[in-house]
Amino acid sequence: MAVDFGGVKMKNPINTASGTFGYGWQFSELMDVSQLGAITTKGCAAEPWAGNPAPRMAEVPGGMMNSVGLQNPGVPAFAEQSGPWLADLTAKGTQVICQVAGHSTEEYVRALEMFVELCPWAAGYELNVSCPNIAAGGAACGSTPEGASEVMRACRKVTDKPLFVKMAPVRIPEIARALEAEGADGLTVINSIPGMSIDVHTRRSRLSKPTGGLSGPLCHPIAVRMVWEAAKAVDIPICGVGGVMTGEDAAEFILAGACCVSVGMVNFVEPDASIRILHELEAWAESQGVRDINELIGAFEC
Amino acid sequence: MPNPSPARMHDFEVVSNEKIADGIFSLVISAPRLASALKPGQFVNIRVPGDPSDLLRVPLSYVAADPERGTVEIWYAVVGKGTQRMSEWGRGFTSDLLGPGGHGWGVPENARRVLVVGGGIGVPPVLCLARELAEAGIAVDACVGSATAAKLVGVEDFEALGAGEVRVATDDGTAGFHGFCTEPAAELLACREYDYVATCGPGIMMSRVAASAAEAGVYCEASLERMMSCGFGACGTCNVETTGGMQGACMCGPVFDATKVVVW
Repeated sequence: MAVDFGGVKMKNPINTASGTFGYGWQFSELMDVSQLGAITTKGCAAEPWAGNPAPRMAEVPGGMMNSVGLQNPGVPAFAEQSGPWLADLTAKGTQVICQVAGHSTEEYVRALEMFVELCPWAAGYELNVSCPNIAAGGAACGSTPEGASEVMRACRKVTDKPLFVKMAPVRIPEIARALEAEGADGLTVINSIPGMSIDVHTRRSRLSKPTGGLSGPLCHPIAVRMVWEAAKAVDIPICGVGGVMTGEDAAEFILAGACCVSVGMVNFVEPDASIRILHELEAWAESQGVRDINELIGAFEC
Repeated sequence: MPNPSPARMHDFEVVSNEKIADGIFSLVISAPRLASALKPGQFVNIRVPGDPSDLLRVPLSYVAADPERGTVEIWYAVVGKGTQRMSEWGRGFTSDLLGPGGHGWGVPENARRVLVVGGGIGVPPVLCLARELAEAGIAVDACVGSATAAKLVGVEDFEALGAGEVRVATDDGTAGFHGFCTEPAAELLACREYDYVATCGPGIMMSRVAASAAEAGVYCEASLERMMSCGFGACGTCNVETTGGMQGACMCGPVFDATKVVVW
């Protein structure tokens, strides 16, 4: 089941979506995290971020919306508080990908420099250029080939370690090609989808901001289509994210061209779901009669 | 690393599920390990099956835990699709929950007299505390409020546990004082000496109780409610704005030092 996600050697294709798995240790008493191929930690910036006011979450049929706004303690506090546990996890064979947050190219570079210095145990870094809840940067800079390229180009100079980009669910083929040209080692497709939910009785948003990020199984078919588009556009590997609830959902991403799959919202509901999904994915691969999961990547037949 | 949540996965079986007031039910479940682990003020996050488009768990406080029988009693108001489905559960129904979540009330060790103030479905966590305090020989007074007499819960329970004063208030005057329970609470705080106040209910109610407690110079804690996804510190959605910054209700609460709450 081992896969190579842009230089991150994963013992199996199951990863966790940033923002749905805390810093990993939150799950330490609820499951054996070291069974996973990788985890991706919640985004951290150079400085602490307070995030958005409450309410930050609204339930919608088939998913949820959030406007957390990337609340985080900053890289130094993250490295100090969570670093030892994460270093131990990597020693057990589960790779740790740290997500990098920022409002501007300079902020991404600064945060990444701190990660490189303070988190040497990280197997790679994921640049979140597509958070739908960051007004000043994020979504804006990741929504155009120029904006995404600029961040990638500057960050590429900081480290030779694997660098990934979490993509906004827009203009996938052209932005994917632009990121590949700037040296991205892989792409995470997709971030939550900008949405709105209005309480018609109060006429107010059900979140503290007008819009939020939509996630959960209702996003899955959109994410599968975007992984397929990205896989056709570039040669670098892709991590599929979006509404995976079962091994078959994960298998769809693999067939569409993803080399690994991140489990997201279901972690909130069923904390050890990622292990169940891994076992279901293994059973599916076996049922397809292959000895190596890599034979199934992009094996979608039209 | 910081401590992970004390929450663990527990399977449970419904022992009983009965309506106790207008729109409010009492659910008793069998979950022996949970019954031994819960402390007043903590919560559980319940899986409510039956609708695949409805994914998140339902976070609820509890009102009583009996370690000997292995049962936990939960009072809940039917407010949405999840609690509506819960209200249809019968004896023998099985599901699972994550709990206990968060930390409970922090009653000062030397407290001798305590006031608890509960509004609406905020009564269970303060009743739970009052029962524990009464058993420990600590004097308890209670203020209980609701919109109307038909929705009142807990009054007989406070009387049964031997609370010195049990003041009732309803918004429409159908029982007790005509108005909010914040007023009898302010009266008691003005004329009696307390060492601690515990409150749970609507945000505006708790903020007023906190103000009265502060005026009387009494330490007050409040149990806050937020939209919550995971309940064990992973999602960052149940934030409470405090003087110490944004804090998750599931890990840093749900019980907060009232003087530190900025947005109720």
